[in-house]
Amino acid sequence: MPLAAGAAARTEWTDEALMHAIAARDEIAFGVLYDRYVDLVYSASLRVLGDPQLAEDATQDIFVRLWRRPESFIPDRGRFLSWLMSVVRNRAVDELRARGRRQRREATVTTSEGEDDQVSLIPSGEGDDPILAAQLHEEQVLVRKALAELPAEQRMALELAYFGGLTQQQIAVALHEPLGTVKTRIRLGMLKLRRSLGGQVRD
Amino acid sequence: MTPEHISHEQADEFAIGAMAPDVRTYVAFHIDSCASCAEIVRESEEAAAALLLAVPRRQPPGRLRENVLRSAGIRKAGPIGRIVQVATASAGVAAVIVAIASFTGMVSVRDQMNGLREENGRLQTQIDDALSQKVEILALTREVQEQEQLTNDLKTASRGDRDLILALSSPNASVAEVITVDPNQVAIGRLVWDAEQKKVWFIAAHLPQRPNGETYQIWVNSGGRYVSLGTFNTDVSGFARYETFVPQGLASYESAVVTIEHANGALERSGPSVFVSDLSRLRR
Ligand SMILES: [Zn+2]
Repeated sequence: MPLAAGAAARTEWTDEALMHAIAARDEIAFGVLYDRYVDLVYSASLRVLGDPQLAEDATQDIFVRLWRRPESFIPDRGRFLSWLMSVVRNRAVDELRARGRRQRREATVTTSEGEDDQVSLIPSGEGDDPILAAQLHEEQVLVRKALAELPAEQRMALELAYFGGLTQQQIAVALHEPLGTVKTRIRLGMLKLRRSLGGQVRD
Repeated sequence: MTPEHISHEQADEFAIGAMAPDVRTYVAFHIDSCASCAEIVRESEEAAAALLLAVPRRQPPGRLRENVLRSAGIRKAGPIGRIVQVATASAGVAAVIVAIASFTGMVSVRDQMNGLREENGRLQTQIDDALSQKVEILALTREVQEQEQLTNDLKTASRGDRDLILALSSPNASVAEVITVDPNQVAIGRLVWDAEQKKVWFIAAHLPQRPNGETYQIWVNSGGRYVSLGTFNTDVSGFARYETFVPQGLASYESAVVTIEHANGALERSGPSVFVSDLSRLRR
């Protein structure tokens, strides 16, 4: 191609614009999107899988699939970041199930509260991209605050489902609680999450 | 399970992954054909996804990037330079994805331009005068458009070329002459700045193609700081048309400069200058 528009302009593109370009086989756009989100995808995979090698494999798999099948992202159905996180979650939980690591996660999920102190010391991976980093950081702060304000049992129910891949029946069994109690915790937990994120509040 | 719409509670259970497999299958099936339920589930999924945004940030091993690019079958993509972020584009996807003309499309337009220049020197002189005086060229463009051949050719030109022509005919567009630094250079350039579309075009002719490993890079000087507008190269005949968005975060822009940088573009302006352009009198 005689006109090689470089990465410079693309770093200013929205996620959705980059995905559009990736669908048109724009390799530079893919590189920019990779750099923007690799730390987040890796960290999220690591959170679910608890194993650096598995997290690395999952991250590679997610990005390669994103390049090969960019049409799996449908802009009308929500923003890119949420879609990406659901891809990460599903990929990681599938892995978790395949490897039979569920027992291990159940045992460690209760320790997650302690991570927050450590978090603030770690710069996010978007340091090269100040505005994006600020947006992500702001969102991260909101979510962490929201999670910190959740009663422990609600947070645990959400994390066992989302990070542990457990159904509410399985959570009820694991926690020796009635199914109705678990359902209520999930409902209240989600309601508070949405509220703190500024989303639509529902009954 | 009922063959009904999905409740908010079910949407939450679905999004967080807590649903029993049979109910989950039903919900997935239902939202495929029910837009209102799909929207409810989408909201729940946004909230659930936030759980992952909050995880402690870790960096993957450096080898991962190479592995991903190799597995994806991409060889050229990277390393991406750490380039100053100016603003997050908020325009719609269609507006952001700039249609870069195909090679044949550009050759076609270039030939038209050259042909036009040869057969109508008077018009070219007028255009040049207009450009250098940074005046509106609406009337001249109308005159150009009256030439049937050009109009027909433009119809077949790429969308990107039409955008440029539209910008040139827009009262919101400003055109800045670009001056070669080397007086022996025959290269000519124009910078078209469209405040309404928030786009900027750079067009050059007779500008030598950069060899592998080098690129041209455009910078805009804002309060003494050079912000990259991106990189481009010319084709074998020395022609280039590069377009990008006007950086939104900049309070002012005094001048633009084109430099020669290493292939992926530079973080800071560092290479030799080829062109300079005065932007101080552009319409904002
Ligand atoms: Zn429905």
